[in-house]
Amino acid sequence: MILTITLIALLVTMAFALIRAIKGPTVYDRILASNALGTKTVLMIAVLGFVVGDPELYIDIAIMYVLIGFIGTVAVLKISEFGNLGQPQSHTETEDP
Amino acid sequence: MSGLTDLLSMALLGIGTLFLLIGATGLLRLPDVFTRLHGASVTDTLGAGAILLGLALAAGWGLLMGKILALLLIMALLGPSTAHALARAATHGFRKPWLHETDKAEK
Amino acid sequence: MLIESVNIFLLALLAVTAIAAVRLRDLFAVAMMFGIYSLLAAVMFVLLDAVDVAFTEAAVGVGISTVLMLGTIGLVGRYERGSVRSSLLPLTVVVATGATLIYGTLDMPHFGDPTAPVHQHVAPAYITESPQQTGIPNVVTSILASYRGYDTLGELAVIFTAGVGVLALLGLRRRKRPGKEGVGQ
Repeated sequence: MILTITLIALLVTMAFALIRAIKGPTVYDRILASNALGTKTVLMIAVLGFVVGDPELYIDIAIMYVLIGFIGTVAVLKISEFGNLGQPQSHTETEDP
Repeated sequence: MSGLTDLLSMALLGIGTLFLLIGATGLLRLPDVFTRLHGASVTDTLGAGAILLGLALAAGWGLLMGKILALLLIMALLGPSTAHALARAATHGFRKPWLHETDKAEK
Repeated sequence: MLIESVNIFLLALLAVTAIAAVRLRDLFAVAMMFGIYSLLAAVMFVLLDAVDVAFTEAAVGVGISTVLMLGTIGLVGRYERGSVRSSLLPLTVVVATGATLIYGTLDMPHFGDPTAPVHQHVAPAYITESPQQTGIPNVVTSILASYRGYDTLGELAVIFTAGVGVLALLGLRRRKRPGKEGVGQ
Protein backbone atom coordinates (compact mmCIF):
# COMPACT_ATOMS: atom_id res chain seq x y z
CA MET A 1 0.00 0.00 0.00
CA ILE A 2 2.66 2.48 1.07
CA LEU A 3 4.78 1.28 -1.85
CA THR A 4 1.98 2.26 -4.21
CA ILE A 5 1.84 5.73 -2.70
CA THR A 6 5.62 6.05 -3.01
CA LEU A 7 5.42 4.93 -6.63
CA ILE A 8 2.77 7.53 -7.42
CA ALA A 9 4.80 10.21 -5.65
CA LEU A 10 7.83 9.20 -7.73
CA LEU A 11 5.81 9.52 -10.92
CA VAL A 12 4.58 12.96 -9.86
CA THR A 13 8.15 13.99 -9.07
CA MET A 14 9.30 12.78 -12.48
CA ALA A 15 6.54 14.80 -14.13
CA PHE A 16 7.58 17.93 -12.19
CA ALA A 17 11.22 17.43 -13.16
CA LEU A 18 10.17 17.01 -16.77
CA ILE A 19 8.20 20.26 -16.66
CA ARG A 20 11.28 21.99 -15.25
CA ALA A 21 13.42 20.49 -18.00
CA ILE A 22 11.05 21.78 -20.65
CA LYS A 23 10.64 25.25 -19.12
CA GLY A 24 14.34 25.83 -18.61
CA PRO A 25 15.18 28.68 -18.72
CA THR A 26 18.95 28.11 -18.42
CA VAL A 27 21.05 25.13 -19.44
CA TYR A 28 21.80 24.39 -15.80
CA ASP A 29 18.11 24.08 -14.98
CA ARG A 30 17.80 21.44 -17.65
CA ILE A 31 20.88 19.56 -16.47
CA LEU A 32 19.55 19.71 -12.90
CA ALA A 33 16.15 18.43 -13.97
CA SER A 34 17.71 15.66 -16.04
CA ASN A 35 19.91 14.62 -13.11
CA ALA A 36 16.97 14.70 -10.69
CA LEU A 37 15.00 12.57 -13.11
CA GLY A 38 17.88 10.09 -13.19
CA THR A 39 17.85 9.82 -9.40
CA LYS A 40 14.08 9.32 -9.43
CA THR A 41 14.54 6.61 -12.05
CA VAL A 42 16.92 4.73 -9.77
CA LEU A 43 14.51 5.04 -6.83
CA MET A 44 11.63 3.99 -9.02
CA ILE A 45 13.40 0.84 -10.21
CA ALA A 46 14.25 -0.03 -6.58
CA VAL A 47 10.63 0.50 -5.45
CA LEU A 48 9.28 -1.33 -8.50
CA GLY A 49 11.40 -4.33 -7.56
CA PHE A 50 9.45 -4.61 -4.31
CA VAL A 51 6.12 -3.97 -6.06
CA VAL A 52 6.76 -6.64 -8.69
CA GLY A 53 8.26 -9.03 -6.15
CA ASP A 54 11.74 -9.53 -7.63
CA PRO A 55 13.86 -7.03 -5.68
CA GLU A 56 17.21 -8.82 -6.10
CA LEU A 57 17.36 -8.25 -9.84
CA TYR A 58 15.95 -4.74 -9.77
CA ILE A 59 18.38 -3.52 -7.10
CA ASP A 60 21.30 -4.63 -9.29
CA ILE A 61 19.88 -2.60 -12.16
CA ALA A 62 19.38 0.38 -9.85
CA ILE A 63 23.04 0.27 -8.76
CA MET A 64 24.14 0.20 -12.41
CA TYR A 65 21.89 3.16 -13.18
CA VAL A 66 23.12 5.42 -10.43
CA LEU A 67 26.72 4.95 -11.63
CA ILE A 68 25.87 5.54 -15.29
CA GLY A 69 23.79 8.60 -14.41
CA PHE A 70 26.66 10.10 -12.42
CA ILE A 71 29.10 9.62 -15.30
CA GLY A 72 26.65 11.17 -17.75
CA THR A 73 25.93 14.21 -15.59
CA VAL A 74 29.59 14.91 -14.86
CA ALA A 75 30.47 14.59 -18.56
CA VAL A 76 27.70 17.03 -19.50
CA LEU A 77 28.84 19.48 -16.82
CA LYS A 78 32.44 19.22 -18.03
CA ILE A 79 31.38 20.12 -21.53
CA SER A 80 29.10 22.92 -20.42
CA GLU A 81 31.75 24.38 -18.13
CA PHE A 82 34.96 24.04 -20.12
CA GLY A 83 33.95 23.00 -23.58
CA ASN A 84 32.96 25.30 -26.36
CA LEU A 85 29.24 25.67 -26.75
CA GLY A 86 29.66 26.91 -30.31
CA GLN A 87 28.65 30.50 -29.81
CA PRO A 88 30.79 33.60 -29.20
CA GLN A 89 28.88 34.82 -26.15
CA SER A 90 28.68 31.44 -24.46
CA HIS A 91 30.78 32.63 -21.52
CA THR A 92 28.56 35.55 -20.62
CA GLU A 93 25.02 34.45 -21.38
CA THR A 94 23.40 31.05 -21.40
CA GLU A 95 19.80 32.18 -21.46
CA ASP A 96 17.42 31.14 -24.21
CA PRO A 97 16.78 33.71 -26.94
CA MET B 1 9.52 -7.66 16.35
CA SER B 2 8.51 -8.24 12.77
CA GLY B 3 5.51 -5.98 13.22
CA LEU B 4 7.72 -3.23 14.61
CA THR B 5 10.13 -3.51 11.66
CA ASP B 6 7.23 -3.33 9.21
CA LEU B 7 5.86 -0.27 10.96
CA LEU B 8 9.27 1.41 10.92
CA SER B 9 9.73 0.59 7.25
CA MET B 10 6.34 2.02 6.40
CA ALA B 11 7.07 5.15 8.42
CA LEU B 12 10.40 5.63 6.64
CA LEU B 13 8.77 5.14 3.24
CA GLY B 14 6.11 7.69 4.17
CA ILE B 15 8.73 10.24 5.28
CA GLY B 16 10.67 9.64 2.07
CA THR B 17 7.55 10.12 -0.03
CA LEU B 18 6.80 13.36 1.77
CA PHE B 19 10.30 14.69 1.12
CA LEU B 20 10.09 13.57 -2.51
CA LEU B 21 7.00 15.70 -3.02
CA ILE B 22 8.53 18.64 -1.13
CA GLY B 23 11.66 18.46 -3.26
CA ALA B 24 9.65 18.16 -6.46
CA THR B 25 7.62 21.23 -5.55
CA GLY B 26 10.84 23.09 -4.82
CA LEU B 27 12.33 22.04 -8.13
CA LEU B 28 9.29 23.40 -9.91
CA ARG B 29 8.53 26.56 -7.93
CA LEU B 30 11.80 28.09 -6.72
CA PRO B 31 13.12 31.12 -8.61
CA ASP B 32 16.60 30.20 -9.89
CA VAL B 33 19.16 27.42 -10.43
CA PHE B 34 20.86 27.69 -7.08
CA THR B 35 17.65 27.64 -5.09
CA ARG B 36 16.25 24.83 -7.24
CA LEU B 37 19.41 22.91 -6.39
CA HIS B 38 18.17 22.91 -2.78
CA GLY B 39 14.92 21.29 -3.85
CA ALA B 40 16.70 18.61 -5.86
CA SER B 41 19.14 17.97 -3.00
CA VAL B 42 16.29 17.40 -0.55
CA THR B 43 14.96 14.58 -2.70
CA ASP B 44 18.45 13.20 -3.34
CA THR B 45 19.47 12.96 0.31
CA LEU B 46 16.48 12.83 2.64
CA GLY B 47 13.93 11.44 0.20
CA ALA B 48 16.12 8.78 -1.38
CA GLY B 49 17.78 8.02 1.96
CA ALA B 50 14.52 7.44 3.81
CA ILE B 51 12.97 5.41 0.98
CA LEU B 52 16.03 3.19 0.56
CA LEU B 53 16.29 2.69 4.33
CA GLY B 54 12.63 1.72 4.38
CA LEU B 55 13.19 -0.72 1.53
CA ALA B 56 16.23 -2.15 3.33
CA LEU B 57 14.11 -2.78 6.43
CA ALA B 58 11.41 -4.36 4.28
CA ALA B 59 13.99 -6.60 2.62
CA GLY B 60 15.15 -8.03 5.94
CA TRP B 61 18.59 -9.29 6.91
CA GLY B 62 20.61 -10.63 4.00
CA LEU B 63 22.42 -9.88 0.77
CA LEU B 64 19.54 -7.76 -0.53
CA MET B 65 19.79 -5.45 2.46
CA GLY B 66 23.52 -5.11 1.81
CA LYS B 67 22.88 -4.21 -1.81
CA ILE B 68 20.31 -1.59 -0.87
CA LEU B 69 22.68 -0.10 1.69
CA ALA B 70 25.44 -0.07 -0.94
CA LEU B 71 23.07 1.77 -3.27
CA LEU B 72 22.30 4.19 -0.46
CA LEU B 73 26.03 4.76 0.13
CA ILE B 74 26.68 5.35 -3.58
CA MET B 75 23.81 7.81 -3.80
CA ALA B 76 24.96 9.59 -0.64
CA LEU B 77 28.42 10.00 -2.20
CA LEU B 78 27.37 10.90 -5.74
CA GLY B 79 24.42 13.19 -5.02
CA PRO B 80 26.40 15.95 -3.28
CA SER B 81 29.23 15.58 -5.83
CA THR B 82 26.81 16.15 -8.67
CA ALA B 83 25.19 19.08 -6.88
CA HIS B 84 28.60 20.63 -6.24
CA ALA B 85 29.71 20.16 -9.85
CA LEU B 86 26.47 21.69 -11.07
CA ALA B 87 26.73 24.68 -8.76
CA ARG B 88 30.35 25.20 -9.80
CA ALA B 89 29.52 25.00 -13.48
CA ALA B 90 26.62 27.41 -12.99
CA THR B 91 28.86 29.91 -11.15
CA HIS B 92 31.50 29.65 -13.86
CA GLY B 93 28.78 30.33 -16.40
CA PHE B 94 28.38 33.70 -14.61
CA ARG B 95 24.95 32.96 -13.26
CA LYS B 96 24.45 35.27 -10.32
CA PRO B 97 22.61 33.66 -7.40
CA TRP B 98 19.12 34.96 -6.81
CA LEU B 99 19.32 37.01 -3.63
CA HIS B 100 16.02 38.75 -2.99
CA GLU B 101 12.76 39.63 -4.62
CA THR B 102 13.99 42.78 -6.41
CA ASP B 103 16.47 40.74 -8.48
CA LYS B 104 13.60 39.10 -10.24
CA ALA B 105 12.65 42.21 -12.17
CA GLU B 106 16.03 42.68 -13.81
CA LYS B 107 16.48 39.03 -14.75
CA MET C 1 -3.22 -2.98 -12.81
CA LEU C 2 -0.74 -0.76 -11.02
CA ILE C 3 2.03 -1.70 -13.42
CA GLU C 4 -0.21 -0.93 -16.39
CA SER C 5 -0.98 2.51 -14.95
CA VAL C 6 2.74 3.17 -14.44
CA ASN C 7 3.36 2.10 -18.02
CA ILE C 8 0.68 4.42 -19.35
CA PHE C 9 1.99 7.34 -17.28
CA LEU C 10 5.55 6.69 -18.48
CA LEU C 11 4.35 6.53 -22.08
CA ALA C 12 2.62 9.90 -21.61
CA LEU C 13 5.84 11.38 -20.20
CA LEU C 14 7.74 9.91 -23.18
CA ALA C 15 5.33 11.57 -25.60
CA VAL C 16 5.67 14.92 -23.81
CA THR C 17 9.47 14.63 -23.89
CA ALA C 18 9.48 13.79 -27.60
CA ILE C 19 7.19 16.70 -28.49
CA ALA C 20 9.32 19.06 -26.37
CA ALA C 21 12.48 17.82 -28.12
CA VAL C 22 10.89 18.56 -31.49
CA ARG C 23 9.64 22.02 -30.47
CA LEU C 24 12.77 23.33 -28.73
CA ARG C 25 15.25 25.35 -30.79
CA ASP C 26 18.11 25.20 -28.26
CA LEU C 27 20.03 22.07 -29.29
CA PHE C 28 21.71 21.76 -25.90
CA ALA C 29 18.25 21.46 -24.34
CA VAL C 30 17.27 18.95 -27.02
CA ALA C 31 20.30 16.83 -26.07
CA MET C 32 19.15 16.91 -22.43
CA MET C 33 15.66 15.93 -23.59
CA PHE C 34 17.10 12.91 -25.38
CA GLY C 35 18.85 11.94 -22.14
CA ILE C 36 15.55 12.16 -20.26
CA TYR C 37 13.86 10.21 -23.04
CA SER C 38 16.32 7.35 -22.70
CA LEU C 39 15.92 7.31 -18.92
CA LEU C 40 12.15 6.99 -19.22
CA ALA C 41 12.47 4.39 -21.98
CA ALA C 42 14.91 2.44 -19.82
CA VAL C 43 12.37 2.27 -16.98
CA MET C 44 9.81 0.96 -19.46
CA PHE C 45 12.25 -1.70 -20.66
CA VAL C 46 12.85 -2.74 -17.05
CA LEU C 47 9.08 -3.00 -16.57
CA LEU C 48 8.89 -5.18 -19.69
CA ASP C 49 11.56 -7.49 -18.17
CA ALA C 50 14.03 -6.62 -20.94
CA VAL C 51 16.91 -5.97 -18.57
CA ASP C 52 19.70 -6.19 -21.13
CA VAL C 53 17.98 -3.68 -23.41
CA ALA C 54 17.47 -1.39 -20.43
CA PHE C 55 21.19 -1.55 -19.61
CA THR C 56 22.11 -0.73 -23.19
CA GLU C 57 19.58 2.09 -23.36
CA ALA C 58 20.86 3.63 -20.15
CA ALA C 59 24.54 3.33 -21.01
CA VAL C 60 24.25 4.46 -24.62
CA GLY C 61 21.35 6.91 -24.35
CA VAL C 62 22.19 8.65 -21.09
CA GLY C 63 25.95 8.36 -21.15
CA ILE C 64 27.60 8.10 -24.54
CA SER C 65 25.16 9.58 -27.01
CA THR C 66 24.50 12.67 -24.87
CA VAL C 67 28.22 13.36 -24.65
CA LEU C 68 28.72 12.77 -28.38
CA MET C 69 25.80 15.05 -29.24
CA LEU C 70 27.12 17.80 -26.97
CA GLY C 71 30.55 17.45 -28.56
CA THR C 72 28.93 17.86 -31.96
CA ILE C 73 26.94 20.89 -30.75
CA GLY C 74 30.24 22.42 -29.65
CA LEU C 75 31.37 22.21 -33.28
CA VAL C 76 28.28 23.20 -35.22
CA GLY C 77 26.56 25.86 -33.12
CA ARG C 78 23.92 25.72 -30.48
CA TYR C 79 20.72 27.10 -32.00
CA GLU C 80 18.68 25.52 -34.74
CA ARG C 81 17.86 27.71 -37.69
CA GLY C 82 14.21 27.74 -38.65
CA SER C 83 13.39 25.94 -41.86
CA VAL C 84 12.27 28.12 -44.77
CA ARG C 85 10.90 25.32 -46.94
CA SER C 86 7.36 24.08 -46.72
CA SER C 87 6.88 21.05 -44.53
CA LEU C 88 3.86 19.78 -46.48
CA LEU C 89 5.66 17.29 -48.76
CA PRO C 90 7.76 15.68 -45.98
CA LEU C 91 4.63 15.44 -43.82
CA THR C 92 2.75 13.68 -46.60
CA VAL C 93 5.61 11.23 -47.17
CA VAL C 94 5.91 10.47 -43.45
CA VAL C 95 2.16 9.99 -42.97
CA ALA C 96 1.94 7.73 -46.02
CA THR C 97 4.90 5.62 -44.83
CA GLY C 98 3.45 5.39 -41.33
CA ALA C 99 0.04 4.35 -42.66
CA THR C 100 1.66 1.65 -44.80
CA LEU C 101 3.64 0.34 -41.85
CA ILE C 102 0.57 0.24 -39.60
CA TYR C 103 -1.32 -1.55 -42.37
CA GLY C 104 1.56 -4.05 -42.50
CA THR C 105 1.39 -4.77 -38.77
CA LEU C 106 -2.27 -5.79 -39.04
CA ASP C 107 -1.23 -9.19 -40.46
CA MET C 108 1.29 -9.84 -37.71
CA PRO C 109 0.51 -11.98 -34.65
CA HIS C 110 -0.62 -10.12 -31.55
CA PHE C 111 1.82 -8.97 -28.87
CA GLY C 112 2.62 -11.89 -26.55
CA ASP C 113 0.67 -14.40 -28.65
CA PRO C 114 2.02 -17.85 -27.65
CA THR C 115 1.05 -19.36 -31.01
CA ALA C 116 3.12 -16.86 -33.00
CA PRO C 117 5.64 -18.54 -35.36
CA VAL C 118 8.60 -17.01 -33.53
CA HIS C 119 7.63 -18.89 -30.36
CA GLN C 120 7.21 -22.22 -32.15
CA HIS C 121 10.44 -22.74 -34.08
CA VAL C 122 13.74 -22.71 -32.12
CA ALA C 123 12.79 -20.68 -29.07
CA PRO C 124 11.48 -23.67 -27.03
CA ALA C 125 14.72 -25.55 -27.68
CA TYR C 126 16.82 -22.65 -26.40
CA ILE C 127 14.58 -22.11 -23.40
CA THR C 128 14.65 -25.76 -22.32
CA GLU C 129 18.23 -26.67 -23.20
CA SER C 130 20.31 -23.56 -22.65
CA PRO C 131 20.62 -23.95 -18.84
CA GLN C 132 22.08 -27.44 -19.22
CA GLN C 133 24.25 -26.59 -22.22
CA THR C 134 25.75 -23.31 -21.01
CA GLY C 135 25.05 -23.08 -17.29
CA ILE C 136 23.77 -19.50 -17.59
CA PRO C 137 20.35 -18.93 -16.00
CA ASN C 138 19.33 -16.05 -18.31
CA VAL C 139 18.38 -17.21 -21.80
CA VAL C 140 19.20 -13.92 -23.55
CA THR C 141 22.63 -13.77 -21.92
CA SER C 142 23.35 -17.38 -22.81
CA ILE C 143 22.47 -16.76 -26.46
CA LEU C 144 24.45 -13.51 -26.68
CA ALA C 145 27.50 -14.60 -24.74
CA SER C 146 27.69 -18.32 -25.48
CA TYR C 147 25.90 -19.44 -28.66
CA ARG C 148 26.80 -16.23 -30.48
CA GLY C 149 29.99 -15.43 -28.56
CA TYR C 150 32.18 -14.74 -31.60
CA ASP C 151 29.41 -12.66 -33.15
CA THR C 152 29.21 -10.52 -30.02
CA LEU C 153 33.00 -10.16 -29.99
CA GLY C 154 32.88 -8.92 -33.59
CA GLU C 155 30.13 -6.47 -32.68
CA LEU C 156 32.22 -5.10 -29.85
CA ALA C 157 35.18 -4.61 -32.19
CA VAL C 158 32.95 -2.74 -34.65
CA ILE C 159 31.48 -0.53 -31.92
CA PHE C 160 34.93 0.22 -30.53
CA THR C 161 36.18 1.20 -34.00
CA ALA C 162 33.14 3.42 -34.53
CA GLY C 163 33.71 5.09 -31.16
CA VAL C 164 37.35 5.78 -31.95
CA GLY C 165 36.33 7.14 -35.35
CA VAL C 166 33.76 9.50 -33.85
CA LEU C 167 36.26 10.74 -31.26
CA ALA C 168 38.79 11.36 -34.01
CA LEU C 169 36.19 13.29 -36.03
CA LEU C 170 35.15 15.43 -33.09
CA GLY C 171 38.79 16.25 -32.32
CA LEU C 172 38.57 16.31 -28.55
CA ARG C 173 42.24 17.31 -28.20
CA ARG C 174 41.76 20.57 -30.04
CA ARG C 175 39.56 22.19 -27.43
CA LYS C 176 42.40 22.23 -24.90
CA ARG C 177 44.05 25.08 -26.83
CA PRO C 178 42.29 28.43 -26.42
CA GLY C 179 41.77 30.64 -29.42
CA LYS C 180 41.09 27.87 -31.90
CA GLU C 181 37.57 27.21 -30.74
CA GLY C 182 34.36 28.08 -32.50
CA VAL C 183 35.79 27.84 -36.02
CA GLY C 184 33.42 25.13 -37.16
CA GLN C 185 30.44 27.32 -37.90
